Amino acid sequence: MELMVNGKKLEVTDGATITALLEELNINPLRVAVQLNLEIIKRERYDKTTLRAGDKLEIITFMAGGSE
Amino acid sequence: MRDEGAREDKAMEKSDTLKFAGREFRSRLIVGTGKYPDHRSMQRAHEASGAEIVTVAVRRVNLDRTQESLLDYIDAKKYTLLPNTAGCYTAEEAIKTAILAREVGLSDMVKLEVIGDQRTLFPDNEELLKATKVLVKEGFVVLPYTNDDPVMAKKLEDAGAAAVMPLGAPIGSGLGIRNPYNIKIILEAARVPVIVDAGVGTASDATIAMELGCDGVLMNTGIACAKDPVAMAEAMRHAVIAGRLAYLAGRIPKKLYATASSPLEGMVEL
Repeated sequence: MELMVNGKKLEVTDGATITALLEELNINPLRVAVQLNLEIIKRERYDKTTLRAGDKLEIITFMAGGSE
Repeated sequence: MRDEGAREDKAMEKSDTLKFAGREFRSRLIVGTGKYPDHRSMQRAHEASGAEIVTVAVRRVNLDRTQESLLDYIDAKKYTLLPNTAGCYTAEEAIKTAILAREVGLSDMVKLEVIGDQRTLFPDNEELLKATKVLVKEGFVVLPYTNDDPVMAKKLEDAGAAAVMPLGAPIGSGLGIRNPYNIKIILEAARVPVIVDAGVGTASDATIAMELGCDGVLMNTGIACAKDPVAMAEAMRHAVIAGRLAYLAGRIPKKLYATASSPLEGMVEL
């Protein structure tokens, strides 16, 4: 199925959870926050949240930056 | 050398720490993570600066994973992370960014930036105040970046800001403290720490901020874009300590005419 992750189309296995998606993307779940269709998903729910085709995800983390 | 060390300790002794929202920091210098030539030099500059608080931006994870994670270069045990809302132009954007940042689970503090103009990066104070009120209610430790405007500083404090962070000059400009008199007025009225944020170009700028009585200085470009960021970070560490000590020591009043510092008695007759 196809998802929109951080503004990019991404093909993942049907029925993948957020945990599975993060694993596939090699992302440490302890360093990110995840928003699914504009709703923030708590970390405890990552492995219980099954994704559906067309879901829009934002995965954010801390990057280099001071101001502006 | 021993003397120097002892004095440095005095400026950082327990009674003279930067305190806000029930937290305490020995260093009064806050540094950024942006614009460094690479993560390694940033890490070394952080070390040299003696800073305990480090600002970070909140952005989408890079999906191709070719870049290393910034967090690999910031020891979470040594530094307190201060996520910022850089790049936000409305209260709504800033609030959402702050909430996402807190979800990462590494910090409940936010350096709140709501920019009003792209060229000057001056804050939009109306939106800033709105966002401050909401985020304080949500339980955040809010550190808003604001103009050097005493009325605004007061409003932010009344809204529950843990500290106020007036700019010295535009972000990244290196113009120093453009209006020390306004900073002075902000300091007179403030009951929360006042931290100068933005505009510091070199060590003397940081010292001036501290001599005015500011509780801290936040900078990024001044260190990261210096020819030698690590050396500049060390210079800034000393500058902040020197300014703080001078402020605590109490400077002499300025006078128009000379006052001799050697006795006039016992002059040699020539």
